[in-house]
Amino acid sequence: MAAPLKTFGRKVLCGYCHVLHKGLLCRIVASSPSSLVSGSRGYSAGSEEKSTHFGFETVPEGQKAERVYKVFENVAQKYDVMNDAMSMGIHRLWKDTLLHIMNPQPGIRLLDTAGGTGDISFRFLDYVQSQRDRQRRRAARTNQTVSWQQIAANYTSSDTGPGESRAVVCDINKEMLKVGKQRAEQQGYNTGLSWVVGDAEELPFDDNQFDVYTIAFGIRNVTHIEQALQEALRVLKPGGRFMCLEFSRVSNPLLSRFYDAYSFQLIPVLGEVIAGDWKSYQYLVESIRRFPDQETFKGMIEDAGFFRVQYFNLTGGVVAIHSGFKL
Amino acid sequence: MAVLLRGLRAGRALRGLSKVTVPVATSPHCTGVRRGFHRAVLLQVQKESDPDDSSSTTTSSSSSSSSYHQHYQAHPSESEPASSASEQETPTPNTSYTDQAGEESEDYETEEQLQARILTAALEFVPQHGWSVEAISAAAETLGLSSASAGMFTNGAGDLVLHFIAHCNAQLTETLAEQHNQVQLGQAEKKTTAEFLRDAVEIRLRMLIPYIDTWPQAMSILLLPHNIPDSLKHLSTMVDDIWYYAGDRSTDLNWYTRRAALTGIYNTTELVMLQDSSPDFQDTWAFLDNRINDIVNMANTAKQAQATGEAVVQGLMGAAVTLKNLTGMNQRR
Repeated sequence: MAAPLKTFGRKVLCGYCHVLHKGLLCRIVASSPSSLVSGSRGYSAGSEEKSTHFGFETVPEGQKAERVYKVFENVAQKYDVMNDAMSMGIHRLWKDTLLHIMNPQPGIRLLDTAGGTGDISFRFLDYVQSQRDRQRRRAARTNQTVSWQQIAANYTSSDTGPGESRAVVCDINKEMLKVGKQRAEQQGYNTGLSWVVGDAEELPFDDNQFDVYTIAFGIRNVTHIEQALQEALRVLKPGGRFMCLEFSRVSNPLLSRFYDAYSFQLIPVLGEVIAGDWKSYQYLVESIRRFPDQETFKGMIEDAGFFRVQYFNLTGGVVAIHSGFKL
Repeated sequence: MAVLLRGLRAGRALRGLSKVTVPVATSPHCTGVRRGFHRAVLLQVQKESDPDDSSSTTTSSSSSSSSYHQHYQAHPSESEPASSASEQETPTPNTSYTDQAGEESEDYETEEQLQARILTAALEFVPQHGWSVEAISAAAETLGLSSASAGMFTNGAGDLVLHFIAHCNAQLTETLAEQHNQVQLGQAEKKTTAEFLRDAVEIRLRMLIPYIDTWPQAMSILLLPHNIPDSLKHLSTMVDDIWYYAGDRSTDLNWYTRRAALTGIYNTTELVMLQDSSPDFQDTWAFLDNRINDIVNMANTAKQAQATGEAVVQGLMGAAVTLKNLTGMNQRR
């Protein structure tokens, strides 16, 4: 009696294995205690769940976005202070350089992805405003004989702001956007700025909307970088520019040693002292090391469909600005 | 000899300076840009040297992709040594694909061609915005691109000015070649060297007249250190072209002196033109006449001085021999 039962049982299990080998029932199988099944469970589970890096850890892809969200939720309040402390204020120069390379003309629309606290957008609005002022001064200089109508028009028009230029700050993290809005109020940016919650891999915008897409220190936190690049290509207008400011590979070996020592010894300590959060800043420096280097990332941007891709190394390669065009 | 000179010039052009100034080690970078370009080429570049297209100069420039510097070769027969060498590198699949509309859309051209189009369109906005990135942005918008695409030009205004100069030089070369053909066919008379130089410089300077108000700005842009090599190259090839069509085949020091003289004449005449307010720039052409006559006179004077010198030396030698005869020192004892 036992023998036929055993063979019957084995047949059932073999039937199970058949279905297993299709690879779709691994989750159901995972709860089964049978050893025969567990061998195949190991096989099919590996083919189903992809994993990615979270700093030097390896985590399932579904989890990375969540964990990144928690990191930035924790650091949001002290984000700007920590930026200044970690980079000794140099991050302001990096962002200024990004704007100089972008050289935006008045009237364009900027999408600042992973914009968080709004640094890039504020600089963009300032830059565009000063360009407008310069153009108006130049027009006034050449227009020496002013008519009464023009003088009257000057009295009535009080456009000193950025004018038609628009900046949209998009971030997946509501805390960062909250901090950004507070800063905008404090610093007096009230026109030309919008705050949108959105995922860089799935932007809540239509096609061909923006002239410039920037992502500053955000793309290494994205789970699927290629998708983010595809989305960037989608929302840009023809002729639009993709710009990415990101930590990158230092080529100089001497500088690299100092940089590594500084990153791994000092930055988490600063994080603990100033923000009370060692692990987030450990994640930060680890994620920098896991990001591809300048040439690889340039290849990825080209594969996404951008043209004239080039990069500019800042501070010896600590930071690189990649730029590509949708032509 | 002329072919050798043309080959040398073509070789110089192909080894042109890199236009994209990026503060990064260039060797891996260059291959990346070339890879991007090859991908663009694979997007069905189908334009050959199209006789209908007025910018026939730009097509052969786009095919010489190996150098980032756009070297405009107007005359097809002259561009043979240049473009045949470069066309071996770029596989232009222009016969295997047929476009639906039969015309060129943005996907079907290379980045260089698109850049050339933008810069040509930007020339219209120069009187309003000057030689600046704003003119390029305005032009990009008229072509249907976002104004952010002006960021493609890392040299900004310098790119625009150099493009304009290359365009003018190409037009000049075309005109000179046509005149040369006409002389060869016997339909026109051969001009004297002085007349030829004068006409060539006048033709070239007349191309500046539409932009004469903003030309000082353009000249100052050309004098920026990173633009000097390119602007000198354009100037020297233009002067070389003019002398070639004037019939200069010299291979000695004359080659250098003639080109130096013409460069001086051209630059000074350009400067005079900037502040000339006479009708149709008559003062400028009068100045040009005088300078060319100076050069011709100097050449004649040099020859005369040499002949005189020789005659004087011979006279002195004769006097010395006579003296020796008179004093009896010449006799052998």
